[in-house]
Amino acid sequence: MIQKLRKQSLCSVPKMNKRVVITGLGVVSSIGIGWGQFWNNLLKGTSGISAVSSFDTSNHFTHNGGEVKNFMPKEFITEDRLESLNRSSQMALASTKLAFADSGIHPGYLNNYTVGVSLGTTLGDAQTIEDIDALLIEKKLIGRSNILKIPTYTAPCNIAKEYKINGPVLIFTTACAAGNYAISYGYDLIKLNRADIVIAGASDPFSRIEFTGFNQLNAVAPEKCQPFDKNRKGMMVAEGAGMLILESLESALQRNADIYAEILGYGLSCDAQHMTQPSVDGVAMCMIKAMKEAGIQKEDVDYISAHGTGTQANDRTECAAIKQVFGDRYKQIPVSSIKSMIGHTMGAASAIEGVTCALVVKNDIIPPTINFETPDPECDIDCVPNKARKHTVNIALNNSYAFGGNNASLVVKKYI
Amino acid sequence: MKKAVITGIGIVSPVGIGKDEYWHSLEQGKTGFRLVSLFDTSALNVHRAGEIGDFDPVPLLGKKGLRTLDRSTRLINVAAKLALDDSGLEITEENSCTIGVSIGATFGSLHSIAEFDRQGLVEGPKYVNPSYFPNTVLNSPASQVSIRFKIRGFNATISTGFCAGLDAVSYAADFIRLGRADIVLAGGVEELCEETFLGFYNLGCLSGIDGSEPVSCPFDVRRKGIILSEGAAVLVLEEEKRALERGAEIYATVLGYSNSFDYESTIDFSHNGKGLGNAIKNALKEASLAPEEIDYIGSCANATRGLDRMETLVVKDVFGKYAYDIPVSSIKSMIGETFSASGALSLAASTGCLHRGFIPPTVNYEEQDPKCDLDYVPNAARKKMIENALVLTADPYGNNIAMVIGKDAR
Repeated sequence: MIQKLRKQSLCSVPKMNKRVVITGLGVVSSIGIGWGQFWNNLLKGTSGISAVSSFDTSNHFTHNGGEVKNFMPKEFITEDRLESLNRSSQMALASTKLAFADSGIHPGYLNNYTVGVSLGTTLGDAQTIEDIDALLIEKKLIGRSNILKIPTYTAPCNIAKEYKINGPVLIFTTACAAGNYAISYGYDLIKLNRADIVIAGASDPFSRIEFTGFNQLNAVAPEKCQPFDKNRKGMMVAEGAGMLILESLESALQRNADIYAEILGYGLSCDAQHMTQPSVDGVAMCMIKAMKEAGIQKEDVDYISAHGTGTQANDRTECAAIKQVFGDRYKQIPVSSIKSMIGHTMGAASAIEGVTCALVVKNDIIPPTINFETPDPECDIDCVPNKARKHTVNIALNNSYAFGGNNASLVVKKYI
Repeated sequence: MKKAVITGIGIVSPVGIGKDEYWHSLEQGKTGFRLVSLFDTSALNVHRAGEIGDFDPVPLLGKKGLRTLDRSTRLINVAAKLALDDSGLEITEENSCTIGVSIGATFGSLHSIAEFDRQGLVEGPKYVNPSYFPNTVLNSPASQVSIRFKIRGFNATISTGFCAGLDAVSYAADFIRLGRADIVLAGGVEELCEETFLGFYNLGCLSGIDGSEPVSCPFDVRRKGIILSEGAAVLVLEEEKRALERGAEIYATVLGYSNSFDYESTIDFSHNGKGLGNAIKNALKEASLAPEEIDYIGSCANATRGLDRMETLVVKDVFGKYAYDIPVSSIKSMIGETFSASGALSLAASTGCLHRGFIPPTVNYEEQDPKCDLDYVPNAARKKMIENALVLTADPYGNNIAMVIGKDAR
């Protein structure tokens, strides 16, 4: 006899009634491993830019980048596992371990919960592909271990294996906005009751492909990254990982966790115009949708973590969009770009900036846009030039834009 | 919570372009394998694949804007165009912001990435053509759909390998259920290229690697590997009320889905499939269906030894005795392994089952494997009206997703 369940509602997805909070942070960046060192250096305005050492740049137009030179994977990963992990996975796993240690969650605690992983990346592990390309040119055999490191989704799967995770595991490859896509999907997973705890963030290793591509687009600065400066010469290709532990407010309160911030909502939009040129309307719509979903007004935004890559087109477009969205108030909102210090970490950028936003609302201090020298009338926002600033930030907006016009903005609120 | 229904389907596959040809081929048990023409296989033992022969995007897309687009991007744009035409939707200035795109793709851009990088290595980085750089991002196929059809709501690309297509559809369905979008073009794409082919070849995954004639024979004891393929599927997901209001034809309703990781997973699928089992149970729960209400399972078996065995084990575990009464068939016997497109192509096939009342066969089925003893609908399709179908995908790195669709509930 077939037992028929009553079809009261064919879509029995629980309502979105949960509040989602951030309770752990992990960073691997050129100015710090772990959020403490990273945050101190952000506030000091330290630059992590140096001469590229992972490949020969003598035939490129520029030679600087944001490599993480003091990342020691062995400090986080046992030697027997290290061999099978590409750099993207290494940085993702290291930042996850840092974030869990920071959250006070012991791995054993996870057994009783549905845990998810939501990651972002631009190319997965570009370095594996680049190694194989070199081997293909020399007509050498590609080994099994190399091939197994290619798939884009190895990083989230490696994290999931490490922590014996049984929930949803996804990776977004929405280029330079991937981190925000990942965090916002993690937020959805908790809201929708599909997971209790989510490891959300992004990772991208330093890539020859990106370095060459952006160089050929004339989009890389030769010396330093100067977002919003009139004489800005471009972005700085970089690498890194940022990871956040997300959980429902009740779960965090139950275990007496330290809460950094609450995620109020997010917005996505698509320019639908051009693969590489950003659009004012697309970027503006993204911010508007984020505020709408978060249930806040434009007056409520106290800080904007800019996409701020330092290219002429991005910064001009982003400032015009901020003007369009915030009207008369646009000069009163501090807007800074930490890419001035660590460069553009590709898919990882908005995850590392998400970590930054959590720290900003927690501490009421805003990191600066360094290397700012000459104001640009087209970028007349308050970019918090060169020095960190004490400023009460209740709500921060984290902007990210990508190739393909994939835009994502996240709203982060002080937890009181 | 709103409901997401399927109101349009666009297919580019080795057995047919467009949903009608695709469904017809599946019902006829037609296979789509041919000699590879896209790259040179003369140094290898395998020469057959599910290449889409004579693929020409121009009749549907026109010549404009195609020059720099790679094969994946062309495949998904044709699928999107077919899906939009099938749905009867018109994208306008007014509704453009309420429409999204969500695509699963993992190796689709690998050839573009590798070519770009190798050009830099061989000719020097200053001689690389920057107009090919945008093809190196994995969200390029999905983004080009938005650009071509002026879709402004959102654009997402998910790269979870075998699961990516269904993951992308589930992401899209969430957006509709939560009222964030009215319509989403959701699906998956994967192109056949030398790099992916070599990767699977060197891992020993391809059927025919021992010099024998490649055969895609899921569940058959003779199975020795996959036939690699390419394809694209786009489904138009639409909020139910809106679809009803405009009098759209509703092919199926997305009832539930679940993504569940299996931390015990192994590359050869020798694990017991706890993750896939969880995914099925959670998807049934979300669909408010009892196991006995599933009339058909769209299998992900691809003729690798481990996966077909594991999937069978899981179906028996979740469905108990009833497992033997459910038709379970794998369209990969006909279209091959399309990786990140496979979940979306399978969903499109199952939608056809609901809509047209047939169950596609598992072709090339000759000898039973004692470990694979379910009803695989061997070699010939069946006429059968069904209410609900379950579509599965599992990935060797541990991801699993199960999705339940049902006939229009009214």
